[in-house]
Amino acid sequence: MGDAVNGASAETERFAIGISFGNTSSSIARISPEGKAEVIANEEGDRQIPSILSYIDGEEYHGTQAKAQLIRNSSNTVAYFRDYLGKDFKSIDATPCHQSAHPQQQDSTVAFTIRDTESETPNTVTVSEITTRHIRRLKQSATDFLGKEVNAAVITVPTNFTDAQREALVAASKAAGVEVLQLIAEPVAAVMAYDARPEATVTDKLVVVADFGGTRSDVAVIACRGGMYTILATAHDYELGGASLDQVIIDHFAKEFMKKHKTDPREDARGLAKLKLEGEGTRKALSLSANAQLSIESLVDGIDYGSTVNRTRFELLSNKVFAQFTGLIEQVVKKAELDVLDIDEVIFSGGASHTPKIAQLAANIFPETTTILAPSTSTSAINPSELAARGAAFQASLVQEFDAEDIEQSIHPMVTVTPHLSKAIGVEFTSNNETSFQPLLNADTALPARRIAQYTTPKEGGDVLVRVCEGARKIKVTKPEPKAKEEKPADDEDSDFDSDDEEEEEDVREIVWKTEKPVAELAVKGVKAGSKVEVMVHVNPDLGLQIAVREVGGSTAVRGAINGSA
Amino acid sequence: PSLPSGWTADKDFKAVGGLSAAIQRNIEPVGPHFLAHARRKRHARTFSEDERI
Repeated sequence: MGDAVNGASAETERFAIGISFGNTSSSIARISPEGKAEVIANEEGDRQIPSILSYIDGEEYHGTQAKAQLIRNSSNTVAYFRDYLGKDFKSIDATPCHQSAHPQQQDSTVAFTIRDTESETPNTVTVSEITTRHIRRLKQSATDFLGKEVNAAVITVPTNFTDAQREALVAASKAAGVEVLQLIAEPVAAVMAYDARPEATVTDKLVVVADFGGTRSDVAVIACRGGMYTILATAHDYELGGASLDQVIIDHFAKEFMKKHKTDPREDARGLAKLKLEGEGTRKALSLSANAQLSIESLVDGIDYGSTVNRTRFELLSNKVFAQFTGLIEQVVKKAELDVLDIDEVIFSGGASHTPKIAQLAANIFPETTTILAPSTSTSAINPSELAARGAAFQASLVQEFDAEDIEQSIHPMVTVTPHLSKAIGVEFTSNNETSFQPLLNADTALPARRIAQYTTPKEGGDVLVRVCEGARKIKVTKPEPKAKEEKPADDEDSDFDSDDEEEEEDVREIVWKTEKPVAELAVKGVKAGSKVEVMVHVNPDLGLQIAVREVGGSTAVRGAINGSA
Repeated sequence: PSLPSGWTADKDFKAVGGLSAAIQRNIEPVGPHFLAHARRKRHARTFSEDERI
């Protein structure tokens, strides 16, 4: 009935939400009437809904209920399928699916053989169809909660999702009755979740988004300039995530079990599945408290098993995995040709980011001025699991009113490919024979752009020269005096990721700005003593500039323009 | 910085050089500031024209 009404007019009112669709779990979020992003819980009360579907006697189970079926009904349970969408069978890694329905080749796509009807004969269901069913359930949960038919969404995807994957996701969503308004990148959604808060202010900053998921981890460096985002570099690890930490817990308990009972529960498929499920719960509990227990009924050979582990022990055992997480962060900063000193903010996103030690270790890499946004390091941090969904909800509320054509035109490369400044533009100061440089427009700012800043003038006033220059930042390394304060605690083990650790511990490193090339000189005459001058620089896409300088409070400004070269 | 003696320029403005070449990069099409940017670009408007509307 509802379908017929919706089909009759294409102009039905849109009602959009934000969806984060992950391999491990998915979330749905909307903007509340008060303008705040909130993540919607499904009918089971879960905000992180496992991306799992399971079938028993033709009945479909979803989320946490389906996840529980990984033990008893693993062959009819489909999990970790997001990354298979729109992919060729040969190019996928089937490892995460060892404990559930196995992916198979069907024509050019990936499929699963499951008994999803009451009949005994199994059906082959494509990954697109599985995705459609999953999104239909997410849509239903959101619709039930909001009391209004949800028919559109902004969905988050990894930065390296190919066009084929994007198309497949849009098609699968459409089949579920959800119009995809836009697919946005996960790290950008995370930054937006922070920037869209009412108390946030738009600033120029460099942000590292560390998205540590269940089965994969992605890190991105994003330049935020005047509220616009440009991804400078990304790094991916498809074998690192919460599951790597679960494995540490599993191995720990399995060894303890073997000492007592001489059998390895990991060699029994059902025993392993139980350990996986309960181990994950234990690992999550360790993110919140210093002690956690694990108890499994009839783990293997009918033996009940119960034990506890404390956080210190877990952190000790996980040292190697933690080093991989921090290594990925260092790798991406290097890839962006930046230094850790350049980074203003590190946003932790994804489920594994709840682990307190990861954020603490990452904080040690960065200078104290860098804001580390994780629950264990900042009280204002948002739940890492909710960031992507919140960002998507925010974007959904922005584009909801637009025509599909409008959105398509706006996200076209004609619009998004933009010249960015290669060097910072700023003002040079000379005092006591020393020149210094203060950046006004940072490198990697998308053009056109305009910035205004105020600078103090010499105390005595008089005529002032404003020199607008291009500048570059250098890392100045100074050998400290013997009793310099230490930058890092000496707790590193022999990780091969921080190879330049040794020098870093000895030297004090700081950012210094150097003038590279003068652009223009302006004179402001007769400035009153103690007053300030305001400098406005506007850069056109063709690299033409307009510069205006005036005394604060003064009425006349000195202006000039430079024609663009490119 | 004080004005050195003997510095003169037409209308007190002197262009010394241009900017170094820009890099073409992709901005992420999200957020209110991007949407404003897209609107300006599609209608070939400048900042000030956009503010007037």
